[in-house]
Amino acid sequence: MIQTILNALSLGGTYALASLGLGLVFGVMRLVNFAYSELITIAAYTLVMTNQLPIMVSFLFSVVVTSLAAVLMELLIYRRLRGAAPAIMLVASFGLSKLLQQVYELCFGALPRSASIAPWMSGELKFAGVSITNASLITAILTIVLLLAMRYLLNKTSFGIQLKAASADFRTARLLGVRANHLISLAFVMSGVLAAFVGAILVVGNPQVEPMFGMNMTILALVGIVIGGISSLPGSALGGFIVGVILSLLNTWLGNGRVYSYSWLFAAVFIILLVRPGGLLSKGQEMERV
Amino acid sequence: MFAKSWVKGLTRFSFTEIFIPLIIVAGSSLWLSGRSTSLLLFIKFTLCYLMMVLSLQVFVGNSGVLSFGHGSFAMVGAFVSGLATAPLVIKQHAMSLSNLWQPLVDFKLNLGMSLLASAIAGGVFAALTGGFLMRLNGLAAGIATFALLGITYNILFNNNHIGPSNQALPGVSQFSSLTLPLVLVLLAMVLVYFYNLSRLGRTLRATREDNMASRGLGINIVRVRWMSFMFSGLLAGLAGAMYAHVGGAVQVQDYYLGFTFFTLAMLIVGGSASLWGAVLGTIVVSGVSQILLMWEQSTPVLGVTIHLPIGTRAIVIAGMLVVILLWRPNGISNGNEFKLPNFLSKIKVS
Amino acid sequence: MQILEIEDLNSGYGKVDVLLDITFSMKAGQCFGIVGPNGVGKSTLLQTIAGAIKPKSGSIKLLGNEISGRNPEDIVRSGLALVPEGRQIFGGLTVMENLQLGLTGRADKKTSHQAIEHVAELFPVITTHSKQQAGLLSGGQQQQLAIARALITDPKVLLLDEPSLGLAPNIINNLFSNLKRILEAGTTLLIVEQRANLVTKFADEILILREGLIQDRLNKIDAQDENKLKKAYFGLGANE
Repeated sequence: MIQTILNALSLGGTYALASLGLGLVFGVMRLVNFAYSELITIAAYTLVMTNQLPIMVSFLFSVVVTSLAAVLMELLIYRRLRGAAPAIMLVASFGLSKLLQQVYELCFGALPRSASIAPWMSGELKFAGVSITNASLITAILTIVLLLAMRYLLNKTSFGIQLKAASADFRTARLLGVRANHLISLAFVMSGVLAAFVGAILVVGNPQVEPMFGMNMTILALVGIVIGGISSLPGSALGGFIVGVILSLLNTWLGNGRVYSYSWLFAAVFIILLVRPGGLLSKGQEMERV
Repeated sequence: MFAKSWVKGLTRFSFTEIFIPLIIVAGSSLWLSGRSTSLLLFIKFTLCYLMMVLSLQVFVGNSGVLSFGHGSFAMVGAFVSGLATAPLVIKQHAMSLSNLWQPLVDFKLNLGMSLLASAIAGGVFAALTGGFLMRLNGLAAGIATFALLGITYNILFNNNHIGPSNQALPGVSQFSSLTLPLVLVLLAMVLVYFYNLSRLGRTLRATREDNMASRGLGINIVRVRWMSFMFSGLLAGLAGAMYAHVGGAVQVQDYYLGFTFFTLAMLIVGGSASLWGAVLGTIVVSGVSQILLMWEQSTPVLGVTIHLPIGTRAIVIAGMLVVILLWRPNGISNGNEFKLPNFLSKIKVS
Repeated sequence: MQILEIEDLNSGYGKVDVLLDITFSMKAGQCFGIVGPNGVGKSTLLQTIAGAIKPKSGSIKLLGNEISGRNPEDIVRSGLALVPEGRQIFGGLTVMENLQLGLTGRADKKTSHQAIEHVAELFPVITTHSKQQAGLLSGGQQQQLAIARALITDPKVLLLDEPSLGLAPNIINNLFSNLKRILEAGTTLLIVEQRANLVTKFADEILILREGLIQDRLNKIDAQDENKLKKAYFGLGANE
């Protein structure tokens, strides 16, 4: 029971991080970045390929690689599309996502690459008659720390205020001096850092990395930001969290029917887009502007 | 009133705009398919893709609303046509079909009827989902159609009462020759061309240009979109079925993200706003893809062989999509219908 | 000394030209009003000067430096701020966060603290409601915040787009007395107003904009003459 709750919470936290990563970029440029999936994947590949290094070094390396990939993505592709219709950018990111998957396949092969990363993670911790895996405990703690850090960053720092303002109205924010290029690049860096954490958490649970490794996570994180509110960062995180918790609970409750949990989540997307197009936390009309 | 606007539509009709694309499609299909069996198969698959891209053009091209969901109509069409034509012995004895719902086991149609049934199924599915989807714009529509694809895939992939779930359904009847798929595609091209010229098509394009203004003019956007979504769903269902009859099997994965991506890329590379764009995009993307595939297998193309690593093909296609979006967002056709090159049309005048 | 010089400015959206060959210039400490009917390009003019719309041709000089075609975030740093139409405060952020946002456009970061104190003197709402969500303020308070937020960027030239829009008469009086104090402190003001009589009282010159052109310019004395103003505003010739 404790294990179930802890799993639900840590899965929810992981999805919240992923949704936040997507939401950050969406906020500043109205881009739903499908290729976020490939950021998660490259983070996981980096961890697997540098397995022989100490875990912290390997992880730091993966953070650097992933955020670099995110910045390059912005610089080479998305910067040129800035101001294009969101639907055009959506197709472009879909194309970029496919492109990178193929590049990974060419570089690392179509078959999964695996390595045992931090084997002590799968060990169990026992207290008061309850046993939980190290991995889920660490994931839960890590996501809580990260979400708190993000909260601090968004609410207490000038960067966070600029980010929130730009998400609400980029034009006015620029009139006040918010530097568009810097802010967008920084948003991509942070999105990359979050992708690195998400990739690390995923790879600990499932060290079989293949070219489409980050896909499911990204699609569900996308569901999360639609549910929570696509233009609001706390909404994105909350939506992601809800998706993670629901998915985890559905998997437990539905038994054999759990293969359909995706359908239930997608159906929720339908309903929310119909009755609250801006998401649960919105005050309406957000999607109209989009 | 309707007759009048129909005549008005006809005055926009240009013989070259429809006739030359028809000749190009028919001519290149007949010429290439005679050269080798592998090229014949390639042409058959390309015709399926063209049918799918035509379907996307009808809706996405005219309305400007993005759809990732058309794969679900193709899935439904493929399943209907596949189950209708697979032999009874396979349906009764294949492991993957042991749980198949009895009425589906008994469901039996000939090839022509099964194609018709799959088109109807695609159209009905689009009609049912469109009532809701057509209310959404821009990004919301993109995500909702993606969710539709996800649900359809998820259910068909897992449910073995209505199909082979994640297995392949073998023994689907195959097209005996190129004639039937080619005729279907040519017919669809004519229909799409006249649809684009019709009052409905033009109204839909007006809503694409200016959402607010057309609402102000009293156009019921949801209804206009819905009609075109149904027509588009019909063609997508047919495209899915044709794909099954070319391959001789149905597998739901064939119509998922890769298929969606490939067909959307064709539409966008060619230019979504015109029939010519859809045709050109399909020809260019399929052509490039086939040449690269042959080079990946170290087969010469017109005497030239370049040894390419496997996977280059998909990279180039995805790269093409991204580059087109960056440099020529209206596609190679720039949204125009087919026009004779300047010097040719001058000769005709003089 | 000319602080803002605009020469042959053309601007618009896509293929549509909204402004045609606009030319005028302002001296430091002056106040100009721009009046004219709806949809003649008044907002487009301010947005173009502030860099939110890229001009098609022409020149905009601030303190002798060419600023046309530059990014809005750079223009605000060189000393020109816009209070946009409809105020556009960030409703989800607090009053203080809105002000902090203005600080990003301030060239001199060392004096940020004094700047906040200074605008708080002018607009008490900043101190009394500093932690409140800006979206919950009244219309008049939001307008105060919008002006304060622009002032904090330390502008030499302040552009205001329809500041009186949607405000009650007594609030409007208050607003214009505040603008007068800002003007007296040496800031150059360029105010777009649909209600001409609001600006005629203290603007040095009134530009009348119609169909993308400056149709007429009235000095302070002429502008107070209602007949002359009406004639210019509605484009009636002298002999009609």
